[in-house]
Amino acid sequence: MNAPFFKFGAFGDETALVVAFVIGIAFGWFLERAGFGSAKKLVSQFYLDDLAVFKVMFTAIVTAMLGTFYLGWLGVLDLSLVYLTPTNLWPQIAGGLVLGFGFVIGGYCPGTSMVGAATGRIDAMVYVLGVAAGTFVVGEAFPLIKPFYESGFLGRLTLPEVLHLPYGVVVLLVVLMAIGGFVGAEWLEKRAGSGAGSGAASGAAKEASR
Amino acid sequence: MSTVLDPAASASGRAHGSAHDSAHDAAHARAAEPYMNPYVAGVGLGLVLLAAYVIMGRGLGASGAIGSFVSWLTGEIAPAHAEGNEFFRGYLEEGAGHPLKAWLVFEVLGVLVGGFLSGLLAGRVRATVEKGPRATVNARLAWAFTGGALMGVGAKLARGCTSGQALSGGAMLNAGSWAFMMMVFAGAYALAAAMRRQWR
Amino acid sequence: MLEITTTRANHLVDPSLHVWAWQIPVYLFLGGLVAGMMMIHGWFTFADRHRRAESVSQLLPALGLVLLSAGMGALFLDLEHKLFVWRLYTTFQITSPMSWGAWILIAVYPALFAALLLRVPEPLATRVPVLRAWSAALLADPARVRFVAAANMTLGALLGVYTGILLSTLGARPLWNSALLGPLFLASGLSSAAALVHMVARDGAESELLARADNRLLTAELAILGLFLIGLVTAPRVHQQAAALLLGGPFTAFFWVGVVGLGIAVPLFVQTLAVGRRVRHTAVAPVLVLAGGLLLRFVFVYAGQVSHYGPF
Repeated sequence: MNAPFFKFGAFGDETALVVAFVIGIAFGWFLERAGFGSAKKLVSQFYLDDLAVFKVMFTAIVTAMLGTFYLGWLGVLDLSLVYLTPTNLWPQIAGGLVLGFGFVIGGYCPGTSMVGAATGRIDAMVYVLGVAAGTFVVGEAFPLIKPFYESGFLGRLTLPEVLHLPYGVVVLLVVLMAIGGFVGAEWLEKRAGSGAGSGAASGAAKEASR
Repeated sequence: MSTVLDPAASASGRAHGSAHDSAHDAAHARAAEPYMNPYVAGVGLGLVLLAAYVIMGRGLGASGAIGSFVSWLTGEIAPAHAEGNEFFRGYLEEGAGHPLKAWLVFEVLGVLVGGFLSGLLAGRVRATVEKGPRATVNARLAWAFTGGALMGVGAKLARGCTSGQALSGGAMLNAGSWAFMMMVFAGAYALAAAMRRQWR
Repeated sequence: MLEITTTRANHLVDPSLHVWAWQIPVYLFLGGLVAGMMMIHGWFTFADRHRRAESVSQLLPALGLVLLSAGMGALFLDLEHKLFVWRLYTTFQITSPMSWGAWILIAVYPALFAALLLRVPEPLATRVPVLRAWSAALLADPARVRFVAAANMTLGALLGVYTGILLSTLGARPLWNSALLGPLFLASGLSSAAALVHMVARDGAESELLARADNRLLTAELAILGLFLIGLVTAPRVHQQAAALLLGGPFTAFFWVGVVGLGIAVPLFVQTLAVGRRVRHTAVAPVLVLAGGLLLRFVFVYAGQVSHYGPF
């Protein structure tokens, strides 16, 4: 079996769009299941009483990471054909900071804002308009920011290369870090007062109290 | 389709059908379902991401779709200007013959559908404005727009948003993505206290 | 729009001969929609619903007249020699689906008008009082009422099916050259009509009935599409090449995501849940069905013109 299938010519560009649609449905489905269509739930991460964002994100990262690692190791998945955005350190750091501001101010990130908009959140719809406006401004100002946009270019760079550790070791470290993070998250949530399983209960309580 | 993916929803002992006599607004009175366990949802999400990597050799995303749409719209209104601008031109040339036939645009269409279906089945679709008890609707919408604009800027600088960079790049141990991810959390926590009034 | 000239420097000829633009898919959609509305109205009339105050059937003839006129307006815009449109009605060519269509469309107007008379809308009745008298005369005899209902259903079916037959008789466009195109357009038109009427119906029972009917029609539409594709793929090479336009070619994404996904599968899923009381009815499913019906016509008209007899 040769994966990624698309890169090995299993289907063309048009069919890839249909695949995109189907994958998108699954993506949106799980985002909403986790409650990420709600700005209040998302932002609770940053007030340390509902860390679902951290839990979902890192569980997803670990799952996909383990999956790609093992499939790569088995020779099923050709990792060199997987697209990785080249690193441009300074704009990515600056962008991350700005995105973090936008997250806690706006209450969503682009993916979750789509889910929010699809489930009727008017603030999510306004948020999407904001993203479009911001994108447009960047486009217009692009000639001015281009030098910064391309600064800190380090090419295709992965953590194992940065840390000078084998891929598998980094995977293990990430898993350990994630588990540590989950334990910490559970402890923080308990301290915030709702007790075990607070994610689901506080989510339902917030829903009912509206 | 969905009940196969989500045993939690179908197994829940939700009472349905009994008290509904009005044909149209059947589920209005039904309380919203509790959210899925975050770890289970995370695994589901991770599997979707893995599927994207295995099938397409690329990760997920969202902000790029908005970039495609904005570039297309600019191209429709002011074609010469869009063509002359490197940023817009990049998006205009990307799709399979048309800027809107970009992978992320179709993916985002799917996100809208998937989010709606999940919300509908859980009784969580409702026209509302999410905000804290102390904030007004107008203030919230103004902040939402501002936050979105910041996001738009940040996502372009970083070549992606939390879905594209943090989630997808993170799983592939992309160095830039991890740096980005840490800065996102840093930035959000830094401003959380200042925004408290809007949410709490 | 300019028809063919003798030199090839004509955008209508390169890269492929295509003369029909947006006007035709818009007309096909509106025609199918009105056809479905007529059939629904006829059905409701046989069930005596035209007498009920809250029934949606009183809206249908007026709405149908408006929509059909809009459709014919689009058709008129497509004509190159608009001043000669009357010539269509100086003859009847029995072997020409277009001639059939022209006459069916003309017959539809009196049928819709007769349907309107079954229950004249108040604003119209106050302005044109004679309509009340005509209406009373019509309603006096149940045989006349049944005749009107039957005429509406028959002409509706003919209207819904002839557009597909018209396209399917064009052998030089292999994508259209399937006997299933007529039933496909009829099913699509009926399902769009059911979705629209479900959305505007105020009576809960009627709305529910139409949603159930729409679900069955959407399922039928899926089946017909499946058979249509199978028919193309198992036919001679030209037809296979035409089918390839929808199976990997330039119309694949719009067809599978737009027409099949968003236009049929998603609304069918949502509406099935709604009818089964698992979720509440929203406008999402009917709107998607209508959009999907329009997109179906667009994809078929544009892709059909790209498909032609010969290698690509």
